[in-house]
Amino acid sequence: MTLSKEVYAEFEDVVGPEFICNDPAIMPSYYATEFAAVILPENTAQVQAIVKLCNKHKVSFRPVCTGWTGKFQAGVVLLDLRRMNRIIEINEKNMYAVVEPYVITAQLQAELMKRGLHLNVKGAGTNCSAMLRGHGHLDQSTGGDDRNHLAIEWVTPAGNIVRSGSLGSSDEWFCGDGPGPSLRSILTSATPPGVTPGVFTRAAMKIYHWPGPTKFPIVGNSPNYALSEIPANFMTRYYSFPTMEKMWQAELKIGESEISFELMGFNVAMVAANITTSNEEEEAAFKRLSKEVQGPGFLIILAGNSAADFEYKKRVLNHIVNAAGGKSLASLEDPRTEGILMCQCIRISASIRETFRPGGAFSSIPVMGQRDLTIKWAIGAGKAKEPLIEKGLIVDDGGASFGWGVEQGHLGKTEIFCKFDPQNAVAKQAVQAWHDEQSARAFKERYFALLSPGQPEEIGKALSNYHVWWNKLQKELDPNRVSPEGGALV
Amino acid sequence: MGLEQYKGDMDMCCRCSTCKFVPMQQVSGFQYANVCPSISKYDFHSYSGGGRLNIGASMLKNGFNYTHKLLDIVYNCQMCGACGVSCNYAMDMEVMAPITEFRIKCVKDGKTHPALDKIIAGLRKNDSMVPVTGKRGDWAAGLNLKDATKEKVDVLYYVGCLTSYDKKLQKLARSTAKILQKAGVDFGIAGDAETSSGGAAYEMGYEQDALDQAKKTMALIKQTGVKTVVASGAEDYQAIKVLYDKFKLKGDLKVLHIAQYIPQLIKEGKLEPKKNLELAVTYHDPCHLGRLGEPWVHWEGKKVPGDRFVFDPPKVYRRGTHGIYQQPRDVLKSIPGVKLTEMPRNKEYAWCCGAGGGVCDSNPEFAQWTAKERIEEAESTGAEALVTACPKCEKTFSAAIEANGSRLKVYDIVELVEQAIE
Ligand code: SF4
Ligand code: SF4
Repeated sequence: MTLSKEVYAEFEDVVGPEFICNDPAIMPSYYATEFAAVILPENTAQVQAIVKLCNKHKVSFRPVCTGWTGKFQAGVVLLDLRRMNRIIEINEKNMYAVVEPYVITAQLQAELMKRGLHLNVKGAGTNCSAMLRGHGHLDQSTGGDDRNHLAIEWVTPAGNIVRSGSLGSSDEWFCGDGPGPSLRSILTSATPPGVTPGVFTRAAMKIYHWPGPTKFPIVGNSPNYALSEIPANFMTRYYSFPTMEKMWQAELKIGESEISFELMGFNVAMVAANITTSNEEEEAAFKRLSKEVQGPGFLIILAGNSAADFEYKKRVLNHIVNAAGGKSLASLEDPRTEGILMCQCIRISASIRETFRPGGAFSSIPVMGQRDLTIKWAIGAGKAKEPLIEKGLIVDDGGASFGWGVEQGHLGKTEIFCKFDPQNAVAKQAVQAWHDEQSARAFKERYFALLSPGQPEEIGKALSNYHVWWNKLQKELDPNRVSPEGGALV
Repeated sequence: MGLEQYKGDMDMCCRCSTCKFVPMQQVSGFQYANVCPSISKYDFHSYSGGGRLNIGASMLKNGFNYTHKLLDIVYNCQMCGACGVSCNYAMDMEVMAPITEFRIKCVKDGKTHPALDKIIAGLRKNDSMVPVTGKRGDWAAGLNLKDATKEKVDVLYYVGCLTSYDKKLQKLARSTAKILQKAGVDFGIAGDAETSSGGAAYEMGYEQDALDQAKKTMALIKQTGVKTVVASGAEDYQAIKVLYDKFKLKGDLKVLHIAQYIPQLIKEGKLEPKKNLELAVTYHDPCHLGRLGEPWVHWEGKKVPGDRFVFDPPKVYRRGTHGIYQQPRDVLKSIPGVKLTEMPRNKEYAWCCGAGGGVCDSNPEFAQWTAKERIEEAESTGAEALVTACPKCEKTFSAAIEANGSRLKVYDIVELVEQAIE
């Protein structure tokens, strides 16, 4: 659907002619979709005005931050939030930072590190919005998901501005639940919405104590960055275990003892991706490391608040790992490799090297739930990957999944990738079939249910008719159906 | 093959937006996180490195639709290579090559920019990328330099169009010549016979003109019989060293930038910067000396069939790792009293001066906007002077300093060395 000249002019009046475009040349850069227009609002008032116009003219809209791949219907107005890129406040005393959608995590993180503070870095990477809600390697020490969202400013699909939590009753951002409206169950996603329709225009993110340096001492030229020294009281190790069960037991105990700064249940394919600078190097490293490990494992970063605290954490870690029969991957103890991995996992959160580089695309089934159950499911999903690996349709990662415990570790994130060449139609089809089968199996065998747009009724029924309630809510929030759901575009 | 050969690379773009920023580990705060002038100024994703690749991939598939907007995107890019560095930190894919090929295709299809057409018309007529006033070798009057086209010398000093003809920049040629004289280097210039290197023409998209210039310049170099060329302009250095190698014309010619040659001369005891200059400086890495200046890699191979994006033989990407970064800094550190403080964006992730890719001619306002940001970054270091190693950077910065009433001074590295060895 194209916008009539008159309607286009109305949108143009909101942002000015420089910040709206419907030229066909720009469309392919924004996902292969013929958008009605791409608009770059500068602030909440402009977002609200655009959304109101969308309602007036019954035009659908979707907001987007830095991007990643996505699928959109033609005719949608795309709100590229790039101009909303301000850090509004870093409140050191009350431990939160208020950001607009296009502040990337790396920017906020760097500002926080200077102040002895830190934030949860999402698995999508520090190149993505700092406002993003989700999970990441730091979940053990920072918690994940909505734990890190405090007050939020939200332009609803109908064009109302809702300020949640403390912001609803004052100018303060310190709490997501009050005094003021707590909308935690509705505001389930960051910007742009994965589930929540509308646009999050500002959000307060919880921040945490950072015992490390104000900046990492990086040496070398890209992509060969390394640390000139390992920061005092920091240590990165990768431990492998004889069985998945033992690995999970160790992960759980580490969660309970609260010693880890970062715990990431990487498989060795992901470790290999993160310490190498090309696909060829990665393939060789994967083969080498696969021989060194005794089974599944995890990466852990310890960060001591003092030398004594560091020593204590190391002792506890050794005790837990030894009890579970864990073995440190010796080649990663080399300080250069250790530093690369540490900086990569804290400042970048891995991501691109381990997802897109090997094949060009990846399909993922991520799930948040009870770790022991989801791990069991993931073992099956990994086995189902093996024929695809044998046929050369997906990148060989040993069929492994990955994941980590959040906070104390009983709950956690489990995820499994298929990395493939998106230009290979056979591979694409095989990966889609794997994805569908494994998602269906998860529900059928009662491991978990994936709630996603267009979820089958069967799942909704098993979950207190969640889908019925959600649809009712959506109808209320979005009477003109102008804010379609989509995957989380980070 | 043109753009088609990069289809696989363009298809690889995952739209992660990393190419808009300095490599994530180097993000030092809210400020100075951006690395691409084009997306920073024009905001639509299309102006970023990734946006350009996605447009290229789509147009290869669906046909080229040259709208006014498309050409605005194409020509508002400094071809500075920063997007490639940030992308190639994590990804194995060509970024700058397809962006360059897209521009070349525009020119081949007659979709040119009038301001750049004018420059190229001048090149074809006068063998110069800048307006010609007087003779090319006039700057050397009174210096008693050898004419390398007539006398046998060890080293040819290649001056370049801008330094030769621009009255305000001729001082750089004179400083360079004096440094070489002081070091006792057996060098000569080609004077009026010097030809434009063609490097800038290539980045503007005029591939054939660049190739013609490369052939002419190499013929001249061969005629002089030298084995070593020293250039004082970063763009010319990059053209002769990298582009000519890509064109398979360079052979075993040794190509040095003066900022690379000076530390060698100091090490050999031929130069000794003795005079105390008492100056707080920061150094701007010219794109063509830094990330774009790393050697060309000749590679031919095929993708290994199957799951991974790997090649046989393994493909070596030019990721900006091997540019000339350390030597200019060594030069500055060797000058007594010079205190060097780095800008937040430096070396392979330096912010461009704004002039590249013909932007100084096609959109001077954008070039100045870009330079202004760099001036502010330089000022944030507390430096009194911004030092660079490229006449185009110096020209662009000088204009921005004047327009914005900045008190910052701008020098080419040769100017400081000349003062220090007096
Ligand atoms: S060009 Fe590279 S860095 Fe930029 S979006 Fe594409 S993959 Fe990401
Ligand atoms: S070459 Fe420079 S200006 Fe052009 S897209 Fe890349 S980073 Fe931006």
